[in-house]
Amino acid sequence: MTTALTLTTGNDSAGAPVLTAVGEIDMSNAETFAAALHGAVTPAGRALLVDLTAVEYLDSAGLAALFRHADRIEVLTGPLLAPLLAVSGLADLTTVHRR
Amino acid sequence: MSDVFAADAEIGRDLAAVDWAATPLGPPGGWPQSLRTAVSILLSSRFPMWMGWGPELTFFCNDAYRRDTLASKYPWALGRPAREVWAEIWGDIGPRIQNVLDTAEATWDEALLLFLERSGYPEESYHTFSYSPLRDDDGALVGFLCVVSEDTDRVIAERRMATLRDLGSDPNVIRTEQETLAFANLQLERNLRDLPFTLTYLYDDDGRARLRATSGIPAGHPAAPAVTEPGQAGPDGLTSKLIELDEPGLPTGDWADPPRQALLVPLLRQGDAPYGFLVAALNRYRPVDEAYRGFVELTAGHLAAGIAGARGYQAQQRRAEELAELDRAKTTFFSNISHEFRTPLTLIMGPLDELRTHLDDAGPAVRDELDVIHRNGLRLGKLVNALLDFSRLEAGRMQARYEPVDLAATTAELASVFRSAVERAGLTFEVDCPPLPEPVLVDRSMWEKVVLNLLSNALKFTFDGTIRVTTDAEPGFAVITVADSGIGVAADEMPRLFERFHRIDTARSRSNEGSGIGLALVKELVELHRGTVTAESAPDKGTTFTVRLPFGAGHLPADAVVAPGAAGSAGPAAAATAEPFLQEASRWLPGDTPLVAPVAGPAGPDAATVVVADDNADMRDYLTRLLRAAGHRVTAVSDGRYALDTIRADPPDLVVSDVMMPRMDGLELLAALRGDVRTAGIPVLMLSARAGEEASIEGLEAGADDYLFKPFSAAELLARVRANVELARLRNHHARWRAALVDSLQEAFFVCDENGAVIEINAAFTEIIGFGPEGLPYAPTHPWWPDRVTDPEAYAEVVAAFDMLLQDRQGGYRIPVTHRDGHRLWVAAAFNQVQDPETGRRVVVGTFRDVTDEHYAIQRETALASLSVRLSAADHVSEAVAGTLDELRELWQARYVLAAVFDGDDPPTLTATDPDLRWDDLPQQRLLALRDRPLLTPVTEHTAGAGITLEHPQGTMVLWVDLGHRRPFTEQDQTLLALLAGHLGQGLRRVHQIDQQRETALALQRAILGPAQLPAGFAVRYEPATRPLKVGGDWYDTIPLPDGRIGIVVGDCVGHGLQAATVMGQLRSACRALLLQDSSPARTLMALDRFAALLPGAHCATVFCGVLDPATGLLRYSAAGHPPPIVALADGGTHLLDQGRSRPIAVRPDADRHEAEYAMAPRTTLLLYTDGLVERRRQPLTTGIEQATTAVQLGRRTPIDDLATEVMERLAPAGGYDDDVALLLYRQPGPLELEFPPESTRLAPIRSALRGWLERCGVDQGTVQNVLVAAGEACANAIEHGHRDVKGGLIKLRAAVTADNVRLLVIDNGTWRVPRPAENPHRGRGIMLMRAFMGEVTITTGTTGTIIDMQTRIAS
Repeated sequence: MTTALTLTTGNDSAGAPVLTAVGEIDMSNAETFAAALHGAVTPAGRALLVDLTAVEYLDSAGLAALFRHADRIEVLTGPLLAPLLAVSGLADLTTVHRR
Repeated sequence: MSDVFAADAEIGRDLAAVDWAATPLGPPGGWPQSLRTAVSILLSSRFPMWMGWGPELTFFCNDAYRRDTLASKYPWALGRPAREVWAEIWGDIGPRIQNVLDTAEATWDEALLLFLERSGYPEESYHTFSYSPLRDDDGALVGFLCVVSEDTDRVIAERRMATLRDLGSDPNVIRTEQETLAFANLQLERNLRDLPFTLTYLYDDDGRARLRATSGIPAGHPAAPAVTEPGQAGPDGLTSKLIELDEPGLPTGDWADPPRQALLVPLLRQGDAPYGFLVAALNRYRPVDEAYRGFVELTAGHLAAGIAGARGYQAQQRRAEELAELDRAKTTFFSNISHEFRTPLTLIMGPLDELRTHLDDAGPAVRDELDVIHRNGLRLGKLVNALLDFSRLEAGRMQARYEPVDLAATTAELASVFRSAVERAGLTFEVDCPPLPEPVLVDRSMWEKVVLNLLSNALKFTFDGTIRVTTDAEPGFAVITVADSGIGVAADEMPRLFERFHRIDTARSRSNEGSGIGLALVKELVELHRGTVTAESAPDKGTTFTVRLPFGAGHLPADAVVAPGAAGSAGPAAAATAEPFLQEASRWLPGDTPLVAPVAGPAGPDAATVVVADDNADMRDYLTRLLRAAGHRVTAVSDGRYALDTIRADPPDLVVSDVMMPRMDGLELLAALRGDVRTAGIPVLMLSARAGEEASIEGLEAGADDYLFKPFSAAELLARVRANVELARLRNHHARWRAALVDSLQEAFFVCDENGAVIEINAAFTEIIGFGPEGLPYAPTHPWWPDRVTDPEAYAEVVAAFDMLLQDRQGGYRIPVTHRDGHRLWVAAAFNQVQDPETGRRVVVGTFRDVTDEHYAIQRETALASLSVRLSAADHVSEAVAGTLDELRELWQARYVLAAVFDGDDPPTLTATDPDLRWDDLPQQRLLALRDRPLLTPVTEHTAGAGITLEHPQGTMVLWVDLGHRRPFTEQDQTLLALLAGHLGQGLRRVHQIDQQRETALALQRAILGPAQLPAGFAVRYEPATRPLKVGGDWYDTIPLPDGRIGIVVGDCVGHGLQAATVMGQLRSACRALLLQDSSPARTLMALDRFAALLPGAHCATVFCGVLDPATGLLRYSAAGHPPPIVALADGGTHLLDQGRSRPIAVRPDADRHEAEYAMAPRTTLLLYTDGLVERRRQPLTTGIEQATTAVQLGRRTPIDDLATEVMERLAPAGGYDDDVALLLYRQPGPLELEFPPESTRLAPIRSALRGWLERCGVDQGTVQNVLVAAGEACANAIEHGHRDVKGGLIKLRAAVTADNVRLLVIDNGTWRVPRPAENPHRGRGIMLMRAFMGEVTITTGTTGTIIDMQTRIAS
């Protein structure tokens, strides 16, 4: 039984690609997350917006996936994960939007 | 996995594996909701449970049941019919289950004996359980649930404890060895479960072991040989041995089958080979573990102690018999000596009678002398006869010849003999002897002695009024009374009135003469007639003696009864018996000689006036005649009072006085004379019949000038009188004659000048101290002072006394001095400052006397007393030894004192006043030689020290007192050492016994309280009182309830010792059982009230009973007279749980109790305790509670187990707790403890559990998230690295909280790999995250695994 995680890809109102994650991300499902990320990131053009506002838990395995695509993504987060993203240094490499 | 089994992963897996389709229940998918719920409850409970469901009562159980009860039957039993699973006990439990299914009523069984085959053999076990009905979805009865708690350990511990207690309960202090063993075996026979049978063998002198007692097996049984061959049986040396029993037909004890093993335990004797051994057959249904062995060995210890006591008593008996034998020999000797007196007496009295006849016409002076000899000869004869009578009585050789006598007439006749003496004394004499109805059988000569002694006694102590003799008849008895109106006897002297040689010292009497045997003889003689003599008396009113003699002859031996007159006629014999009495009495009476006889002798140039005081008229006359003949003027008086009057009226040159006199004795006279300026200078010569130090010390202290002991010769008396008279005269010319005067003193005399130099001494001074006048003057420091270097304490004493001598006007002191030959003396000195009339210089005049003997007597008493205090204050043998050594060192001012105990260790165990002392530093040869010496025989090594050997509980003990070449160890020192060592030996034995009893009691208390299987979050302590170490009474308990809540109980029974421990055990079990049945604290206490009302010793116990929901922190509680628990909130606030309080247990067993509720906020600490923690002498209870409150408040940030230790230490009084203390701490919520396999899918549920726990801890959201991230990384690490190479290991997560801190431990048993960020960058990031989100992170990696320890502060 893996940790509950729902991943949805789409576009925001401005047409930019969005990957929305809902649930928790840990080492049990980090590969799924990484795969979804890999599939949604485009080599050029608009950066992928990764919406983590509905993620309740993110560990270093999930972070690792984000770091791999740091220069191709932007991250949207709520107050829960904001300190984690700041502490991990991801916020220094990529644009982190806070809601 | 079917989620019906999800509540317990492991049991759930095994349940899922059962082929349910093959059971009547079918596959779990088709199970009714009621069954699913029941299974889920079962699996989630931590309390042992099993259930049966459906037509075959299909078996389910949970993990706790598997662990405690099912053991090797797991997992075989799952899904099988209950009847099959528990086939071996179905006979016991089947009917109970059927009853539940029939009636729908739950059952309750406490401590039911069941034989479980869980460990490969049928095992004796006890279970408390309840069967309750289970219903299906339609409400029909389809099964039952059984909740079990095993109390095997408690039941067995209590049973063994009861046996040990019974063994120690022998009410008879003194028994023979056989009686002791019989009593003990009777007690052992009461526990045929632990001891199916026992055999007690004791070794004979020839090394054979002889069967002396048995329990549970008849004597003569083939398995119990009466005698064994030497070395054939018995344990090996001093350790016990387990043997297999294979003989057929062994007794089975309380069981169906015979025992298979027995333990051979030696009966150990201190410092010697064992007395014998105990063969204890063992319960085949219990494992032979440490506890069982310990129990059997304690039992053997009890037997050995009993044998030691009995043998010790036998030895004492033998000694008493030897003493009695000695006493008999003494009596025989006494009797022989008395006999020997009679021959010379006869040869004095016979010729004297002749002489009196011949010299009938000689001058009155000669006749008077002869009369004196005659009278005193009679008196001596009377005394010797009385002593002989006693010897005869004692030896049973008094030949009585009883003849019928008209007792009234005989008595009246005897009385009449005394009439003239009584009337001459100015008393009324009434004789009222009407005839008696029948004759009385008496031995005439004995009867005469009875009546004459009583009359003589009456006359002696009566000064005015009446003496009355009567006879009367009572049914069966003739009654004769002799009553006087004399001085009477004080009530406290009455019991000793008839005691031989007892004299009432203070009595005013006509004479102080007498040996104290008259009344004792009366009593013995009357008792020979089977009669009684009693006395009634009131001081100053008089005394009545009543003699009752039985009529008839039946009470007397037939061969001693003779015809009337056959024993000789009364007349002349009575006169002969009476004469000495009359002669003696006549000398007490006035009229023979005038009190004052101022007849002037032929006064020569040396003639002096002398006052003679003596109560014996003959002695008075004799002295008067002697002194007059020497030309002195004599005034003779009969007691000290007359003497004082006479002397005051006209001071004489000399007083000659007896010491023992009525009204005022010689010493009182002396004191009165010295106390009066006009008479203080008159010399007094004391005469005493009591030779001995006692009288002389008294007399000299009172200031007598000289002493003479009777008998003395006329020449000696005259010489002393002359010397004293001369000295008295010389006193008037003291400048010339002072030296002679001073020399005549028996006390040492000295004069000091103002600088303290001794300038004059007398002969006695030289005699006592050894320093003569040739060395004068002796300047300070005087040569007799103790040495300043080697004996500083004694030196200091002398210096202090010397300062007093120079400064004070007068005084006295007692100091040690050194004789010229080096030996130590103690002297008591008195001094006065005086002005030398010629020079005007201030000098000090003093005297002293040798009080060395007194000093050592006092020292012995003091040393014994302080040793006793040390011994009684000691809690342990080692403490007693150490205390004694200090005492001995102090006593002898020794360099060091040591005790070497030869307990089998090499070198022997040492205790010394000098802690640095090692065996290698010691005179080893000397100590080893001492070890082999007889006990309690002191050995002195010249100037080095002294040693002695005594018994110590662990072996022979050698005491060595090292004096460091300071001084010799005198004979008195040796006596004292032997005395103290003997005392110490006894004391050690006593302390050792108490020690052992205490350890037993403590072991039992701990056995009842533990081993504690505490729910998480709790910490407990039990501490016995320290001084004197008292055990028992207090308890704590935690009880996991089936609904997940936890019962918490702390209680305190009245009293200490085994009794209180037993009551405690019962109350604790009862409270536990009651809470399991009904989880209401108030109702539990009410039920406990009723239970305790029937339990002796349980009355007034105090109990706090609470039920805690660990999920919510809600505590419902009720208290029975118990001090209120304390809570400390995370923010530092405190509360007392003082609601729901009521009277102690069993005080009003029928009244209601109430309960209260308290919601524990997150991170609140709860302290339950017994009053020993807070109660202090001279301090209100509230002060103690405040101190405890402060301790918990300060400790709210401390982990709970450390806090328990801290509270106990913080509140301990200086000398340790003087009452026992039980303590229980809990912090809400309890710690989270999780174990999981290294699978990443476990992370989400772990996080969820941790999140829930953190919320119960009241932690804010931000911190929750931080902790979750850190914990998640740590767990991920453990899964990924820790277990890469190891399969099947579990990861542990433990989280605990204090008031301001959360601490997490993640533990794995794999190999940690140093993070290599290049290879795997995101792992390094994990550690970085842990460090970022937790205040403190420590990672410890070892060969057995890795521990990640993380802490973070939380806002309060």
